[in-house]
Parts: sequence; structure tokens; C-alpha cells
Amino acid sequence: MKSSVKIAPGAVVCDECELIGDITIGARTVIHPKARIIAEAGPVIIGEFNIIEELVHITNRFPDGAEGKKNSQVMVIGNNNVFEVGAQIESTKVGDHNVIESKAFVGPQVELTSGCIIGAACHVTTGEKLPENTVIYGAKCHRRIQRERPPAQNLQIDFLTKILPNYHYLKKVSKAQSPPK
Amino acid sequence: MTSLTKMATFMDVNLVRYLCTCGKRLPPCRLYLCRHCLKLRCADCVQHEVDSPYCPNCLENMPASEAKLKKNRCSNCFDCPICGHTLMTRATSQMVPSSEDPSKSTPKKMYYMACSFCRWTTRDGGLADQSTSNGGWKDEENPEAKRINTLLESYRSIAQREKAEKERKKYVKRRSHAGFQDRYGLTSVAMKWKIQPAMSNLSVKETEKVPPAPELVSPVEDFDPLPSEIFSDIVQLDKVTYLSHRLNAPEFQPPATKDLRPVHKHLLVRRSLRCRECDHNLSKPDFNPLSIKFKIQLIALNHIPEIRIMAPATFSVNKETVVTFTLSNPSVYSTVVKLLPIEGDTDLDYMTAKVDLPKSDLVLALHDDTAVYDDGTKAQQEFKDDPRVVVFRRANKLGFAAKVTPFCKEGEVKVSFMMKHEFRNTAAAIQSEDKEPKLEWLEHRIFINLGRIQL
Repeated sequence: MKSSVKIAPGAVVCDECELIGDITIGARTVIHPKARIIAEAGPVIIGEFNIIEELVHITNRFPDGAEGKKNSQVMVIGNNNVFEVGAQIESTKVGDHNVIESKAFVGPQVELTSGCIIGAACHVTTGEKLPENTVIYGAKCHRRIQRERPPAQNLQIDFLTKILPNYHYLKKVSKAQSPPK
Repeated sequence: MTSLTKMATFMDVNLVRYLCTCGKRLPPCRLYLCRHCLKLRCADCVQHEVDSPYCPNCLENMPASEAKLKKNRCSNCFDCPICGHTLMTRATSQMVPSSEDPSKSTPKKMYYMACSFCRWTTRDGGLADQSTSNGGWKDEENPEAKRINTLLESYRSIAQREKAEKERKKYVKRRSHAGFQDRYGLTSVAMKWKIQPAMSNLSVKETEKVPPAPELVSPVEDFDPLPSEIFSDIVQLDKVTYLSHRLNAPEFQPPATKDLRPVHKHLLVRRSLRCRECDHNLSKPDFNPLSIKFKIQLIALNHIPEIRIMAPATFSVNKETVVTFTLSNPSVYSTVVKLLPIEGDTDLDYMTAKVDLPKSDLVLALHDDTAVYDDGTKAQQEFKDDPRVVVFRRANKLGFAAKVTPFCKEGEVKVSFMMKHEFRNTAAAIQSEDKEPKLEWLEHRIFINLGRIQL
């Protein structure tokens, strides 16, 4: 698969992460080493101010029975999301201000709107659009609705933008501009 | 397995069990040895006593009387009303108009509490942020508090009066009028009049203070019928509290999630254990909740030789298999262990295999803490071991071989035998003069589960 990765200026993408396929990364997004973004069934568009930590697998998988059709679905991830260590995302639509905690699994039929928190090790696979500000927590995936969305992580993004280049090589910013959202 | 202080063991492995005096079979880490009765006790057959309540979060020790006043809750720590996890205080900075210049605004640190598990915050409950980090979260007053207090007061005074009447009755009964008549030569009637004023004084005092009985609450005769909107309105499940949420706050029982408030954390109790027969303490923890040391710790593991299965083995019906066990001695004196088979017990629950135990006595060296630091150059005690019985010997441990023949076709292979060992009672010796502690032979029945029979 030929990789075409467009990295907007301001994004911090470590060199040790695996980016396969047609991927667009927005400004001020931080991608830690050992993250994997695989755009198998179509392009993956990642917005701005996201934090994608280690061992996160963002996979745009072929839907069942439609193997081999390239560019069939576009995976869109919005702004200000946090993907904690070990999370696995196969959902095609992720909105803004979501937090997907460690080792959570979000299946391909799920659609995350904004402000959702998927708790640690929760497997969410039902085909639905989660209402805004939903919190899924616990071994039995209990749900509740928050009053307000999770706090923004701008401080953390500033810190990472300063510190990560001291310890890791970064992928080069592409000269082509990222498509406007 | 080397350990620098006392030996460690596996808490979850229940394969080798000792018989407690109450009839239960438990691994030695769950048993206590009473050093005065010299018997094994388990947590169920000892008496639990409350040592001191403490908060599991801030580890604050509270005397029992104070805990009773605060209804066994910590005043500083809170639990999430939804999931029960401990709430953590978080800070945000808000722009507040500064006191000097109302038009400008300075950042001020405001604090709120949040649950790290279900992400509930005090803002979800409608509580405003506090300006101090550790306090300020006010408790709401029970709406029925006034009524409860008046009821309590009136019943308390009634109870006091009843108690005084009982004492008065006792006092009056003891006096016999015949006795007074003889002593003082007055008629009984006159004596009665003389006694009565003294008593009537008392009764007048009591009756004066009778508080008015609390007004009776009139029963509810009728109420509005069920509004028909209940059937047509869409239920918003996330706005309604669970029954468990409501019962956590029994005074308010809020039906809506926006009315949920942080719950004060429940205190836990440090307990000490006491043998029921001889009334001596078996386990007494340190006063400080931070410390894990014990003042008295009589765990069976620290006094009785422990048998462990060394390696798994495969079993088949009526075939003899050699199984190796390790025997380790935890005490500071060397011990002699005798293993005796049990005759005549055919209870299939406890024994499904015949075991051929070593006939000779097994001598175990003492447990030496300093042996860890030795290079091995120190001359060790020489033991004459039968190489067919004793597989290996190291420090205070010994491995012995036993032949196991299962006589059941399927199921688990269980063996049972008696273990007799020498025990030197160090506790009793301390009380008497510093002679050698007395030697006693203790006997325990052991049950071992060796695994399933391979078909």
C-alpha cells in the first residue's frame, strides 16, 4: 500500500509510529511513538488538537464482506480528542472533545458524537450513535450523561510539543496543506 | 522462594489444608494458633473485637465515641454517589473580578470534586465550586431533623422517668413496715405518713418536668390521583437515580440525578481477635492505621511446619505415583515431624487415595534469618537422611517423597494424614524464668488435594 501522509504544520508526529495509507493529520495534534494508524479501506482524516498516545490502533477496516474495495469509507476524527494508551478505534465517525481511555475498544458500527468518555477496557460495539456527553464506565459498561464535556487538554499538548522533540525524531511536515474541515 | 523475614505463602492456593478445631479445613495462612490452648483457630471461631475505627482514605484514627457521633463517617473524605469511588479534589482557575478594580478580572483557583471512575463531578450535582481545597462542602440538613429531635427528646425524658420509677419501686419494696414498727414503736399507719412525704417529694419533682407529648402526625387521608402524564411522558433514564443511589442517602432519597450529593466516606474498623476458650488475644494490630505491624500476631504459618506440594504429578487408578512434598519449619528451634496415616476413615470426601508416608521421623533445622546473608561457608548441621525418603534439604526446608495410589476411578485425588511435631511454647516461657521453653507435641490433621485423575 502506498503511504500518503499529509501532516499539517504544528502537528507533532513521532517517527516511530506506523502510518499506513492515506492519512491526514491536522495542526497541533500530537501522535506518540508506537501508535498505529492504518487506513485500509479508505482515507483517515484526523483533526486538530488531538492526543494519540502509545499503542493506539486507529484502523479503518474493510466492512465485512467488502474486502478489496479501496477508498470505500472515510474515517473522520474531529478535534480535541484524547486516545489513551492501548485504545483501539475502528469507528468511522469520531466527533470532538471525546476521551477514549486505556485499552478501550470502539467497534466499527459505533459513532461517537462529542464529549463522550469511553472508560478504560470498555468494549463498545453496538451499532448506535452515542448521545453527547455520554460516559461509559465499568466492567458492565454502565452509562450516564455528564453535564459538561471533559476538560480540554491544551496544557498537555503544549507540554508534549515542547518535550517530545527532545527525545524522539519527528516525521517531516508535508508541504501540501491539510484539507479544510 | 527466599524471603528476608518471615516466610511468604500463597493466599489463594487452597490445596494443603489443616483441620481447625471448629471442623473447617483451611490453609495455614488463614489459621491462628492459640499458644495457651495450643489449638488451631480460624477467623470464624474466634471473637472479633473492634480496636479502632479509621477512614480508609485519609487514614485518620477516630476514637469509637467520636465515630458514633459522626455516624461512622469521615468528615473530610467523600464518595461518589453514583459509583462509590473516592472523590478527588480538582482545581480550576476562574476569572473573578478582582477586589481592587471591578472592571479587571484576575484568575482565582476554585476547587471541585470529581470521581475518576464514572466522571461525576460536584458540578453535575449543581454544587458551586469552593474556594478552599480541603473544606467548604456543606452537608444538607435533613428536612425531618426538627421532628426527629422533638420525638427523641420526648422519648428520652420518658425513658428517664421510667428508670427513676423502677428504682423507686425497688427502694420502696425493700422497706418492710413491720420492721419500722418494732424499732420505733410507732404504728404502721403513722410510719406510712412519715415515709410518704419523703417519697412524694421525689414524685413531685418528676411529674413537674413531664414534657408535653409530641403532637401526633395526622394520617394522610387522601392525595391527588396519579397524573396521566406518567403514561405519556418519555422516561429519561439518565435523569432518574438507581435505587442504590437513593438508599445511599436515606434522608433525602433524591429521585433525580441532579440532586445527588457526595456521600461521606464510611469508616472501616481495625479489629483484634480473641480465642473464645482461653480469652487470650490471637491477633492485635498496631494502633496507627498506617502501620502494618502487629502487637500480637499468632498466625499458624509462623509456628507450625508447613507442607507444600512441590511439583504436579499425573495419577491413574490403582497406580502408585511418587509425589514430593516440601516441609518447612518456621520456628527458631529445630523440630521433629512425624507423619502418621489415618486408619479406617473411608469418607470419600476427604480421602480418595491411599498414601504411603515416610515411616521415620523427619528432623527440620531451625529457621535462621541470617542464613540469607551467608556465603555457605559456615558448617551446617549434619543430618543423616535416607535418600529414598528425603529428596533434598536446604536451610529449614526439607523435601520428602510419598507414594500415592488413588482408589477412585475419577475425580480429584485427595489424601489425608496426621502430622505430629514438636512445639516449643516461647510465649509461656517469657512469663516464667528464662529456662528452655517446654517441649510439647502438637498434632494436626492435614488434607491435601493433589489434582484430578487422568483418564
